Order: sequence, then structure tokens, then C-alpha cells
Amino acid sequence: MEFILEINTEEMPPAHVKTALVQLEEKFKEELSSQNIDRGQIETYGTCRRLVVVGDFALSQKDREKEIIGPPKDVGIREDGTFSSAAQGFAKSQGVRVSELKVIKTAKGEYLGLRKMEKGKPSADVLSEILPQIVSSLSFPKMMRWGESSFRFSRPIKNILCLFDRKKLSFSVGGIHAGNSTVGHKIYFPNKTKVKSFREYKETLRKMKVVIDQEERRKMIVNQVGRKLASLKATLHPDEDLLEGLVYDVEYPHVILGSFPEEYLDLPLEVLSTAMREGQKLFSIVKDKKQLPFFLGVADAYQDSKSLIRKGNERVLKARLDDAKFFWEQDRKITLKDKAKGLDKIVLQEKLGSYEDKTQRLKKTVSYLADKIEAKKEKQQVIQAAELSKVDLLTEIVREFPSLQGNVGGLYAREEKYPVLVWKAVYEHYQPVSLDDESPASLTGAILSIADKLDSIVGAVGTGITVTGSSDPFGLRRNAQGICKVIIERKLCLSFLRLMDKVIAVYGEKLQEPKEKVKSYCLDFFSNRLRYIFERQGYRYDLINATVSVGIDNIYHSYLRLKALDSLKESPSFEPLIIIAKRVNNILKDQPLFKINQALLAEKEERELYTTFSIIKNNILPLISKGDFSQAQRIIFRIRSSINKFFDNVLVMTDEIRMRRNRLALLQAISKLLIQVADYSQIVIEGQNSSK
Amino acid sequence: MSIQNLIMDLQKFWAERGCYLAQSYDLEVGAGTMTPDTFFRVLDKRPWKVAYVQPSRRPTDGRYGENPHRVQKHFQYQVIMKPAPSDIQQIYIKSLAALGINLQDHDIRFDEDDWEAPSIGAWGVGWQVLLDGLEITQFTYFQQAGGIDLFPVPVEITYGLERLEMFLEGKDNIFDLNWSEDVSYQDLRFIEEREFSEYNFSLANVRRLKDSFLLNEKEARLLIDKDLLLPAYDMCLKCSHFFNLLDSRGAISVTERVKMIAQIRNLASQIAEKYIARESSP
Repeated sequence: MEFILEINTEEMPPAHVKTALVQLEEKFKEELSSQNIDRGQIETYGTCRRLVVVGDFALSQKDREKEIIGPPKDVGIREDGTFSSAAQGFAKSQGVRVSELKVIKTAKGEYLGLRKMEKGKPSADVLSEILPQIVSSLSFPKMMRWGESSFRFSRPIKNILCLFDRKKLSFSVGGIHAGNSTVGHKIYFPNKTKVKSFREYKETLRKMKVVIDQEERRKMIVNQVGRKLASLKATLHPDEDLLEGLVYDVEYPHVILGSFPEEYLDLPLEVLSTAMREGQKLFSIVKDKKQLPFFLGVADAYQDSKSLIRKGNERVLKARLDDAKFFWEQDRKITLKDKAKGLDKIVLQEKLGSYEDKTQRLKKTVSYLADKIEAKKEKQQVIQAAELSKVDLLTEIVREFPSLQGNVGGLYAREEKYPVLVWKAVYEHYQPVSLDDESPASLTGAILSIADKLDSIVGAVGTGITVTGSSDPFGLRRNAQGICKVIIERKLCLSFLRLMDKVIAVYGEKLQEPKEKVKSYCLDFFSNRLRYIFERQGYRYDLINATVSVGIDNIYHSYLRLKALDSLKESPSFEPLIIIAKRVNNILKDQPLFKINQALLAEKEERELYTTFSIIKNNILPLISKGDFSQAQRIIFRIRSSINKFFDNVLVMTDEIRMRRNRLALLQAISKLLIQVADYSQIVIEGQNSSK
Repeated sequence: MSIQNLIMDLQKFWAERGCYLAQSYDLEVGAGTMTPDTFFRVLDKRPWKVAYVQPSRRPTDGRYGENPHRVQKHFQYQVIMKPAPSDIQQIYIKSLAALGINLQDHDIRFDEDDWEAPSIGAWGVGWQVLLDGLEITQFTYFQQAGGIDLFPVPVEITYGLERLEMFLEGKDNIFDLNWSEDVSYQDLRFIEEREFSEYNFSLANVRRLKDSFLLNEKEARLLIDKDLLLPAYDMCLKCSHFFNLLDSRGAISVTERVKMIAQIRNLASQIAEKYIARESSP
């Protein structure tokens, strides 16, 4: 039978709508299955003003056998086998004869009881009962109260429609009684209208200028945009986030094409598109990567017959561009170098000094980084970029559009004819702002990006700021992930531990926390971020553990290790090696370190194992330092037969203490070699638990 | 079409919805939210409906009367309803219609824009209302003040009168607006903008402002101790205005800024807490 739920609210943010739809689908699936109600597909739809669930649910719960537990068996049945008064009483209370009682085994022991077939309740009754819980259990990034109730939701609920089998379900939640009517577009059709089925609901709303299906709205926007652009032979300056937000922001999308005076085309595309996006949520239009004096907007309307929406937006945009142009020209009256003198007046964080201090630190860190990755040509340029990197915080444009920080500095540096590698580095150094954002395209940008982010992390941790749960006000997670992403994508080989030492040293006395504490916190923090990145890329968690737990000094190598493990995990030699590694680990558990004495290698199998080990070691060490973990891995597979023979024929834990220690020493050396590639003992093989 | 007509229309509209029409508060404030008719009245449990015009000063926004959109003093129309009527959004939309806007021809959007004033432990959830892309109103359901859940929940609606009038008159320059049939915004405000910009940016005496800040801060603390919360709050508003002036003079170092904001916050939250304690004691 058809089920429809519509929760009508005041305007929710797009992210709230999306999370609510996911939660609704999950909760319905869970609740229906625990309530024994069969169902078909569940679909969810949403706009900023409504959350909709549609499903096909059985008319009633399935009948089910129910166990009713009475007294314990030894209380209910006397030693002579007759029923006690307790059993009699229980049977009477259940309306059955005492002979109908059965012995039921439970976790607590044996009881007397009975099994009854329970008739399923009508789904309508069950749904009315569980719906208030489902709705009130939805959680949002930020919740509010309204009126005179303590009920919390994303935004105030205005109306609830709930139909099952064409009849309304009666319940109330958040002070609203569910009914059988919906409301249309807030301006055109704000009054309630009754509906009976999903088809009728959808069609009625369509007439009342609401398109409930987000995919349909997306198509409407894309199609209308396409038509408008075709006449201009231009394309949209791509902005997926903007489009995604607009899909939920409107109930009935109407795309408008507007224009602005060409004099504003002097502004860079970055500034223009930001001025358009922020506030009015307009798209810029480009042709051959050049901005055209037009914009596209998405109105929540079905027409703009008098062109008032277009004209209104044009007027507002012109005022914004006017400001932007004024700022752009104002800023360029003073060179970046002169502006930089003001950096000591802006405080980064009270304990960490000014942006001038940060600039000086960055210069030292990028210089160190350039040396370490042998970027000789780029060294001077990246130092120059570091010097300019924070100057744009003093510009009017960044004060107006904070999201343009970095970009604007780069653009001004370009205007002032700094070399490409300098202005690009400034331009790109906040990238990547998320794991989905692109890393800097220039090497200088990559270096500056790493230095800037690590400086922020070390500074925060060094003054006692750490990340807990969902709270990360300083964006430390994002920064750490950005660093890992840049290192991996750029294939940078450098010692992360020494880099951290360097950054800590550059801070000098500014850090309040002990240096060792800062370092170990950061190391832990980065290990976790790296784990997160790898999990997000879809790698198996145990392979990730096997990789990260051997240390992350060389972050790029961590990635290569993981890739090697992942590519060889299906190899027939893989599992046997893991089993061996675990066996070796178990034997070595709690043993002190011993040294190998070749002279004591008595048995043939132990001598052979030693030889194999030595050959493998000599072969793989150069591979490991090159980062060729796949090849190293393949060579390690070859230890298997020697080690198996060793275990089959040699008694490690012999009573002869010198021999025992020598054999343990051999195994220790092998274990030490293996762990240079991966910590195999962390890998789970089917039927076995991870040995932690 | 004129600003005074706009004000009269809003007064009539909200008076008919049961609001008491307050007169503008007689101290310099940065926003309508800061006057006692809002600051104190949202804190307690009693119903409250008020509407008023509030001149709002933001010295750093001054542009000597030369910018068509920015001024160091503008006019807000502030509405508080506690509890917020359940159809408050439709009431608000009707208020726009009452101003002669044919909503069928426009795009009205409620765009997420939460409000927060950590200085007094206050925050709310709401929107900026955009009319064809122009921000004309802030619409907020207050949630907490002084760190305490507000109950019942008040709604605050703040119209930007100049913005709205520019929309109604279809003008691109604030100074071209009509205040009345015979008096323009230029007539009334241009010289004021020029002179105050000069004062705010160049002539306000930094020493005396800093002294005044400290004197008023001290006075406020004494008054708080004596439980004279309304006068104490006035002193707090004065501190806030002196701070804004010093800011537009560029006379506040970074450490001073942090300290002064903390001083104002401290006063406001002490006043709010005492007020709540007083109102909730039997």
C-alpha cells in the first residue's frame, strides 16, 4: 500500500535537507523491518521547504510466534513431575491449561512458558505510533526551537502530510498534527490543498509551482542554462557546489540571464565570479576562459515576464562589482612589498605573534623544504613567494571576499610582474582546501602549501589547541590532509619527522608545550589523517594498518607500500606469508633482543634460512629506499619455503640456551626486515582475527 | 513613494499585528537589536511585541557621502514578536505585499544566515531575506542569550529601510531617495555623512575616547553592583560606541581590541544574567 510523508518547513539549508533524506530512508528501513512490516522501494525527495518519503508498505505486520515466559522450570514443576501452584497461576493468567505449557530454553536457563501466534497489527496503527519518533530523531548540524515548545528541528515545521492506503494517518510531532493536505509555493500557493495519492500529490504540487524531485529540478536548471548559453556560444564557469545548493534552494527553478556593464571586465575572473557567487549565488559565464559581461541566476519562480527579477539582480550585482572594482584599484596603489610592512600589525593568534612572524617562519621552512627535495632552481622563488604569501590579508578585496585569500595575492603579484613561479605559488598556497580540491599545480605552490599548513598545525598544537571529536575550529584536520595529499600527488620524498623538527625549531620559544609532546601528538594526528585518506580511497583497513603502523616518516612511501600490498593481496603467496609473519611474531613475543652468531647455526635448515634471508635482504634494501615496494614484496615471498622448512625441522625453543637465543635472533632479524615493507601481522586473513 | 511612507506602512502593518510602536532609542547603537526594547525583553518569559525605527551607527562604514550604498548611519526597522506566531513567515511576506510589492513578479528567498553575538552568549537561527538578489531583511529566531535557552522563542525581523526604499523607488544611489515628497535623503543626510566621516576617521580625539570608554566601563560596573541594570546597560552601549569610534580612527592595537571587546562582553553578559535572575525569581 502506498505511504506518503511530507514534512513542510520554513527554509532549511541544502546540507540539512540532504542529511535528513538519508536519515529518513535509513530509519524507515530499520523501523519497518523491526516492526515486521514488509515493504517495497522507499524513495525520498526534498526541497528547502519539504522532506518527502514515499514507499510501498504491507497493510499489516506479519503474524509472528511470540514466546511468553512464565516461572523457571524448577519452580513450575515439582520433583515428582507435577505442576506447582506457580505454574497453575501462570497458565490461568494466560488463559490456557497447565498441560499446554512448554519448557523454553533461554539464556538464563529453562523456564515454563508458551508460544502463541500473534496476529500482526494493522500497519496504519504501527506507523502512527512510530512516526513521531522517526521525525523527532532526525539530527541536523544545527538545531533550533521555536514557539513555546522544546522540540528541536532544522527549521520550524509548518505542516505534515501523511497518507497510508489513501487515508490520513493520525499522529502529531513538534506541535503539528499530521493531515492529508499539502501547501504549494510559498508565494503563489501558500494555502492548504488535500491530496489522496502520491500521483495526485506530485501533480498538484507541480501545478502549485513545486517540483519535489531534486533530480528533476537539477535537469530543469541544466536544460534552461543550456538554452541560454547556446545563444551566447559560451559556457558556465563551473561551480558544482553552487549548482548543488541551488537545486535545493528553490522549489521551482527559473533561470535568468542578466548582464553587467563591460567596464567591470577589467576585474579578474576570480574576483568577478566570487562577487557573483557570494550573496546572489549567480554563475559567471565564460568564453575561451574569458569572462563575458553576463551572468546566470536561478530564481524560485515560474517566470520573469516583466524582467523584474533580472533587472533587480543586475542592479544589485552592479553595486557589488562597483565596490569590487574600487577595491581592486585601491589595492594596487600600494605595492605588495610596501603593504607587507603592515603584516606585523595583524595578529595570527595571540600566543603565536603576527603574520610578519609567520612570514619569517615560512621563509625558513620553504628554504629547508626546497633543499630537501632538491628544488634548486625554485628555491629563491619559493622564498620570495613566502614573503608575499600573507600580504593580501591587508587588501580591501580580501576583506570584502575572504575566500579569495591567496588568489588575490597571486593576482596582484602577477600584476606587479613577479616571475610565474612566484605568483603561482602565492595564488595556490591555500590549496587544497579539501581532499576534493586540487593540489597546487606548481612545485613552488606545493612547497609553500606544505610549509603554511604545517606551520599552522604545529603552532596550534604547540599552544595547547587540539582536535577533539567533531570540533576542529582551526581546521587542523583539513590542513593535515592537505599536506598528505600534496606530498603523495607530488611524489615528494622527504623525512616528515625532520621536517617537523625543523618547523618546531623555527617556532623556537613561542611554543608553550614541550617539543617532544608536540611532535608525538602531530605524528599521531598525521597517522590518523593518513588512515582516513586511505580509507576514503577504498583500501582495506587492515592493509592500511599494516602500512601506517610501520611509521609515516616518508608519507609518499607509505602510499607506495599500501599500493604494493593492495596489488599483491590476491597473489597465492600473500596469505602464506602473512601466516608465517604472524607465527614469527608469536614466537618472538616478549623476547629480548639477541644477536646472530653464524657459527652457532647448526642445522641445515637454519643455515639455509640464514642464507636466503641474507640474499633477500641485500636485494630488497635498495628497492625499499627507491620506494619499489611491489618488487620488494615479491622478493620477500621467496622466504616462504626456507622458513617453512626451518619450522618443520628445527626446534626454536630448544633447551640449549645458546642455540635457542641464536634461532630467536635469526627470526628477529627476519621480522625486522619484513617490517621495513609492511607490518604483516596486522593483516587479517579469513577465519582469523587480527592479532593486535 | 518615500521613506516616511515606507515607515508609516510598516508601522500600520505591525501595529495591526499587535506590536507596540516604540520610539527610537536615544543612544548611539550599532543595530536595532541593541536597544533595551530588544536586549532585555527577549530574555524573560513574558510575551512581547514591539516595532520601531532605530538609527544605527557604524562609523567604519562612512564614505563621506561619496559612496552610493555605504553610510555611517542607516535606519533599521526592528520587529520583535515573542512568542513568534506560527505563521510569522507568511505575515512577513504579507508585510512586503503591504508595501505595494507585487510578489508574484519577484523572487523572494530565505537564505541561511544565522546570527551570533558571542559577547553576550547569544545566538539565533535564521535567514537573510533576498528580494531579486537584494538583501532587505534579517529574520532570526533567537535561541539563547546569556548562555540561557530563551523561552518562549522570540523572532526578530530587521528591515534595512534604505535598501528596501531603493528597491521600491528603483534607484541606484541612496542619496537619491525621497524621505518625504519634498525632502530627499541627500537634503537630510549628505552633510551629516560628510561631517561624521570626517569626525569618525580623522578628528575624534583618541585620548578622550579611551578615557570615556574607561569611565563608562567603570560606571557600568558600579551600577551592576547596585542592580541598576538599565542605566548600567546604557553605559555599556556607550562603551560599545566609543569602541566603534576608536576602531574607525584605526587607534586600537590588536591586543587592545581583544581586551576592549572582552570588557564590553563582560558587562553585557553580567547585565543579562542579573536581569534573568531578577525576572525569574518570584
